[in-house]
Amino acid sequence: MQVLELSSLIVKVAFRNLWLYRLKTVVIASLLGFGSFLSIVGLTLLRDVEATMQESIIGSVAGHLQMYSKKAKDDLAIFGSTFMGRQDIGVLEDISTYRDALLRHPEVQAVIPMGIDMGMLGRGNEMDESLDVLRAALKGGDPVIINERVEQLGFQIEQLGRELAERKKVTQDQVEVVKEEADLAKVKEAAFTESVARGDESALQYLETRIAPLSGEKLPIYLMYLGTDIDLYRQNFPKFRVVAGEVLPPGQRGIMLSNKVREDQLKNTAARLFDKLNKRVVKLKIPIKGDAENLRLVQDLPRQYNQIMAYLDRAEAVELHESLKQLGIPATEGTLIAQLVQQVKDFLKVDDQNFEARYRWFYEQIAPKIKLYEISPGETILLRSYTKSGYIKSLPLKVYGVYSFQGLEDSDIAGVMNIIDLVSLRELYGQMTESSLKELQEMRSQVGIKEIAAENAEDALFGDGAAATVESRVEAPTPAPQATIQVKPVIPDMFDVTEVGKGLALNAAIKLKDDVKLQDLKESLEKDLKSQGLDVKIVDWQQASGFVGQFVVIVRLVLIFALGVIFVVALVIINNSIIVGTLNRIREIGTMRAIGAQKSFVVEMFLAETAITGLIGSCVGTFIALGLLIWLGDYGIPSSHDVVTFLFSGPRLYPKLHPGIILLSPLFVTGVATLASVYAARHAAHVTPAEAMQEKE
Amino acid sequence: MSLAVRIENVSKVYPLGKTSVQALKNIELAIQEGEFTTIAGPSGCGKSTLLNLIGCMDTPTTGEVYVEGQPISQLKDKELTRLRLEKLGFIFQSFNLIPVLTVYQNIEFPLLIHGGFTKKERAARIDALMEEVGLQPQAQQKSNELSGGQRQRVAIARALVTQPRIVLADEPTANLDSATGERIIDLMKTINRTHKTTFIFSTHDPQVMKQASRVVRLKDGAVLEA
Repeated sequence: MQVLELSSLIVKVAFRNLWLYRLKTVVIASLLGFGSFLSIVGLTLLRDVEATMQESIIGSVAGHLQMYSKKAKDDLAIFGSTFMGRQDIGVLEDISTYRDALLRHPEVQAVIPMGIDMGMLGRGNEMDESLDVLRAALKGGDPVIINERVEQLGFQIEQLGRELAERKKVTQDQVEVVKEEADLAKVKEAAFTESVARGDESALQYLETRIAPLSGEKLPIYLMYLGTDIDLYRQNFPKFRVVAGEVLPPGQRGIMLSNKVREDQLKNTAARLFDKLNKRVVKLKIPIKGDAENLRLVQDLPRQYNQIMAYLDRAEAVELHESLKQLGIPATEGTLIAQLVQQVKDFLKVDDQNFEARYRWFYEQIAPKIKLYEISPGETILLRSYTKSGYIKSLPLKVYGVYSFQGLEDSDIAGVMNIIDLVSLRELYGQMTESSLKELQEMRSQVGIKEIAAENAEDALFGDGAAATVESRVEAPTPAPQATIQVKPVIPDMFDVTEVGKGLALNAAIKLKDDVKLQDLKESLEKDLKSQGLDVKIVDWQQASGFVGQFVVIVRLVLIFALGVIFVVALVIINNSIIVGTLNRIREIGTMRAIGAQKSFVVEMFLAETAITGLIGSCVGTFIALGLLIWLGDYGIPSSHDVVTFLFSGPRLYPKLHPGIILLSPLFVTGVATLASVYAARHAAHVTPAEAMQEKE
Repeated sequence: MSLAVRIENVSKVYPLGKTSVQALKNIELAIQEGEFTTIAGPSGCGKSTLLNLIGCMDTPTTGEVYVEGQPISQLKDKELTRLRLEKLGFIFQSFNLIPVLTVYQNIEFPLLIHGGFTKKERAARIDALMEEVGLQPQAQQKSNELSGGQRQRVAIARALVTQPRIVLADEPTANLDSATGERIIDLMKTINRTHKTTFIFSTHDPQVMKQASRVVRLKDGAVLEA
């Protein structure tokens, strides 16, 4: 009771002083309020981002823990390290030994073998595609269709001629251009066109080998791929969703394309530009006019007319020609193709007024007529990769489907990975499988390679007592290859399902039954494997994910730094104000001391002032933070960037209220400020009682 | 009758830069309980220093001061403070009330610091004192709303509320007009008689000196006449 009354006395005196120096009080309270606000909002968002990021990373690729060889030269970084290039994380020679050892722990739910690598996707160019279509038409034998294709081809050749004329103006290698012009002139002749229409093989081959390369190969696409046990993967990574096609069946070689990769790199260029503009203009509400990026996209769009033209047959062309006319895009003079080219170009000229309508029209009327994606489920791609020994290995892989991670559809980081079967990964990585060994054997027997021991090499090559004869060398044109080696593809597109469960993997995801004891478990698993002679590194999802995982750590450091700065400023001001305030209050302090107040009483009085200021300020800060968080919880924080989408595990983050953070932040801020003013308060307590007697009126 | 204060061969030296100032020289003084003593002398004669020593706000350089028989020169700040709280009351020239508090709260302040009194006990003491100094109507007023004389009455009540054996007053009438000052001295004298409280106060007002039962004159840090 007594203590309470004394406290209320202290509080009363403190309030009086705070009111007396209200400007100072407001400044300190604001600073501490801002500190609380920042602490609550910052810590809440960090915790939420950490949770959503954890969901993203654990649920997509990483699992709770990742295991890889202790011999690794680089750290595992699933979503890429800050440095480009392939990482050397070593190999796990036989995944089954590791898996069996790990599954003995009751906490471990599954061990999913993995391997991440990068390869190149082989692609032709538009003329190659046209020629393929023509060959198909020739096989079909419909003269109308064949005619259309030939007309189409003629159009492309004409384009090529124009490009060449442009190049001639700027290139130094005139000889080369003249040669190419001659080649082109030959195919422009009516007789040549007729032979193509007849299906003359030599004419077609001439186009394929001499003309098509002139337009250059499309830039190769680099594909990141994750090789894994697809069944096990699907069971343990709930974010995996099939967007198109079907799931890669177990025991089948094949690839699941990432939807993001397909949308960004394998989609028709015109469609892709429409998509990009739609995202910026409609979703982000950035007007075309005045935005450099939008203007660039808009300028680029009409140049993509051939991306539409190349896929149309006559009936489709006529239909499009008519519907464009109805849309109010008139045709000019000339052939149907020439008219349509002009119409399509005009259609692709978009601005702020017509964009939305044109976008819709494109997807309703044009998209169904063209090949929207370079690769679709059911097709087979050729994946080329450098093996660990540096050779290029190519592998045909059937595209079974297209997938994305739920909530991370827009994220480049999560969308960069394509999924292939583990057996193909081993092959691309350069490990000899039984079937690839068989293929090699077949090739060897075809070309007559014999196994020769080194010590017998000289004999085998120059032996048989044959005397070396010196022949005079005659320059002769290289003869065309007389025969090609016919290698039947002996790599089957199926394999024994149990094959994935044993053998090589580069890393493995460890899925736990619950993630409570992540850190402790990490160490005990590592130790346990080591005791069995399996030397591995086990890292948590955050570490395994590479720079993305470090993001939260960095943001936390920045936040702590910012809070630290605010604190230091606040504390300097608080201490300073107490020390200056003491000068004004010497008589009051002296009087209290004279009539029997201990030094501790004076200290308490000053601390009470700071505590009250801190409490008022941080309560206000807390209420503002609470209001903001509640509002954001309703409205969501939109992700402005791909990395952020990944961190948010979706396009928006809806902050949750964490009572701990909300209650403790203001108390902590007040507490620290109060403690930090102890020095100044003690300084104030040094006022002697005798000073109360002195007259300084 | 026992001694309220005994001062034995006390000297006080204040350091002042590289030299020092001797404020008191070999003071010998004894004050009986219940005395109404004034310490008089011109400015700088050592009045305040002597009062500070008796008031346990300072310790002597040499010699010893006994307050109610208790030697103070070896006491720590905490013990001196406790001694001030329990044995001494203070009245200041500028009243030194705590402006934010009411009359009642100002008087209550030492009791709260002291601790150990119930609310009833405190109220009984404060009410009695307020009646004695004639301030009951002003009990709930803020101290800065009072006149100088009223403030000094509050200060007297505050000094007495812990029932100290000795009350020290530093020029209690210096900031008051002569009529008010006289009434304050009368009040102090009445309390001195009824409560048997020892009063020691400094002044240089001859009218006030006349009221004292004993005048100690100081000059240049030495007792001229006790």
